[in-house]
Amino acid sequence: MERIERHPILTFKRGKKIRFFFEGRELMAYEGETIAAALHANGIRVLRYTPKKARPQGLFCAIGKCSSCLMEVDGIPNVRTCMTLVKDGMAVRRQKGRGEFLD
Amino acid sequence: MTECDVLIIGGGPAGLAAGIEVGKAGLKALIVDEGVRFGGQLVKQTHKFFGNEEFYASVRGFEIAEKLLEELRAMDNVELMPESTVIGVYEDGVPILHRPSDTTTLLRPKRLVIATGASEKFLQFENNDLPGVYGAGAVQTLMNQFGIMPGENVLMIGSGNIGLIVSYQLMQAGVNVKAIIEASNRVGGYQVHANKVRRLGVPILLRHTIIRALGKEEVQGAVIAQVNDSWEVIPGTEREFVVDTICVAVGLSPSAELVSQAGGRLQFISELGGYVPVRDENMRTTASNVFVAGDVSGIEEATTAMVEGRIAGLSCVKDLKGITDEKRLKKFQEQLRAFRSGPTSSKVRKGLEKLNLSFPEKLPRETAVEPSYEAYKGKLRPIIECSEAIPCNPCETSCPFGAITIGENINNVPVIDYEKCTGCGICATKCPGLAIFMMQEKEEKGTATVGIPYEFLPIPSKGDQVYALRKDGSVAGVAKVTKVVKAPNSTTVVYIEVPLEEAREVRHIKVVEMKPEAIVCRCEELTVEDVEKAIEEGYTDFEELRRRLRIAMGPCGGRTCRLNALMILSRKTGTPIEKLDPGTFRPPVIPTTFKAVSKSAKGGESSEG
Repeated sequence: MERIERHPILTFKRGKKIRFFFEGRELMAYEGETIAAALHANGIRVLRYTPKKARPQGLFCAIGKCSSCLMEVDGIPNVRTCMTLVKDGMAVRRQKGRGEFLD
Repeated sequence: MTECDVLIIGGGPAGLAAGIEVGKAGLKALIVDEGVRFGGQLVKQTHKFFGNEEFYASVRGFEIAEKLLEELRAMDNVELMPESTVIGVYEDGVPILHRPSDTTTLLRPKRLVIATGASEKFLQFENNDLPGVYGAGAVQTLMNQFGIMPGENVLMIGSGNIGLIVSYQLMQAGVNVKAIIEASNRVGGYQVHANKVRRLGVPILLRHTIIRALGKEEVQGAVIAQVNDSWEVIPGTEREFVVDTICVAVGLSPSAELVSQAGGRLQFISELGGYVPVRDENMRTTASNVFVAGDVSGIEEATTAMVEGRIAGLSCVKDLKGITDEKRLKKFQEQLRAFRSGPTSSKVRKGLEKLNLSFPEKLPRETAVEPSYEAYKGKLRPIIECSEAIPCNPCETSCPFGAITIGENINNVPVIDYEKCTGCGICATKCPGLAIFMMQEKEEKGTATVGIPYEFLPIPSKGDQVYALRKDGSVAGVAKVTKVVKAPNSTTVVYIEVPLEEAREVRHIKVVEMKPEAIVCRCEELTVEDVEKAIEEGYTDFEELRRRLRIAMGPCGGRTCRLNALMILSRKTGTPIEKLDPGTFRPPVIPTTFKAVSKSAKGGESSEG
């Protein structure tokens, strides 16, 4: 999925270009984007797998209400990635299960 | 801040409006919001608001948010705290989690305004949790807040105002909306919003529901079917859509959990979206120090949320200072009554009735009195296609000549006086429903000039040829642009010349952008870039390219493109052209009718037969 460059009504003021990691892979984002938005812009829509049935989950509400977008961010599980800003050097992983604290 | 008079939870339209009233009275207020930006859902609204210009009608949602925030930032006694969540309401205080620092602060405010909004309703169908099934709000967040395409092809579920508006926004962003489906037998949202998507050619399928999302890891399609009067699926009517995104716009339910924790009683009222706080006309809940405003108090829309916020704010002021600006409070309450008096608010009225809040129905004037068509033929004038009673009046207030009248009841449909109208076209740029078109017949030429409010890219220039689209999105023909009037609010009016008989039908244009392109295949309009991209994707054999791109499958049979495609393939793969398989040469070599073939197949009858 790409970023919108031209829009009839809106102009998008994007922040500084930064790098972050998804499953160890380096990706580009702009400062001011949430983790989920930055992943989506990089074509990543599967954010976690559910604890019981291992079903893939993506965004649903994008305003922090539904908890569908929980991921492991810098080793911390259950982070609502739709509400958390992406930071330079951040390491993001798909959460599998309920999430465990990693060493 | 650890002390404040009023803690406002939620920085959307309701919370910000409440903050302004509290701030104006000199009280200390803290507004807490979960998001990275203040403004709530306003920041994603690119359409012009309905209502009355005193309450930002005809202003786009994201601009309303900026205006409210500007006012708040000028107040020293109001603090804004983003990226923070009230995690509960306890007996000894209200803990606020500041997420970036991962710390909490316990606050004991004198009054609480809960303006937490709502969450998306989650529709049940097979694989409804597949990535790519998004709530309408999520689609708007990605697209309008972050400028990221939510997908390429979307199926919209629900034809309420949100479903219709988001569909239009998707098309504006360059995303294709394949269809809007609606389980009921009528469109849920305003007619003017439905007309906007219909003229783009987006079909609205009534009496249809979604059965399942297709795909393993992500959405790759959707199966829909017709339903009968009892809402049951009619077997055999299933249809499949190839889409990568399914947008669910089936309503919202109030986020009232904090109200309950604060001691406010909730009541289930389906007309208001679910469990809503019991409250009075001053927005006070059954917990006397707790107020509510906006969607948390019942699903409605942003204009009423802002008015409710003002009322909640003024009520807090009255509690804490003993007095408030009663005139202002009365004005806001009157505003709510006016807004809710029309037919489109009947559901909300019914819901509020259950809370013993009475909002009287005022019957609007329903029929637009259009002056006799014949009498004003030839005069450049607006044609107002707004026949549904909705609460909106910028056409009236924007006309510099007083030619358009809505009247005292904001739900009235407009009446125009063509004697006073000068044809300036301001109303066409102001109308939030994009329902005012300019028209001038030119009988002697057999044509008419039609002015179309246009919010797409690219914007054509005078003299350009564009496709003229009818109300249903069908192509009426190619038309010449005669004038382009740009407005500061981004609604451009594009004037085109159409045949006289199409003047009442043509309501949209499609600009065909002539990009400098090097064409390889004339039949399928494929460029060098298309072929190279497909080869890079791994289609390195001519037959594979043919299946991927349809190259050499058009009417010319590949006589134009085959060699060119093979040359590109040879260059990209390094395989000499003589070693590449040129693919089969399939008959018929020219376009041939079935009639010609079937007649001769009967046994050599002559084609004159």
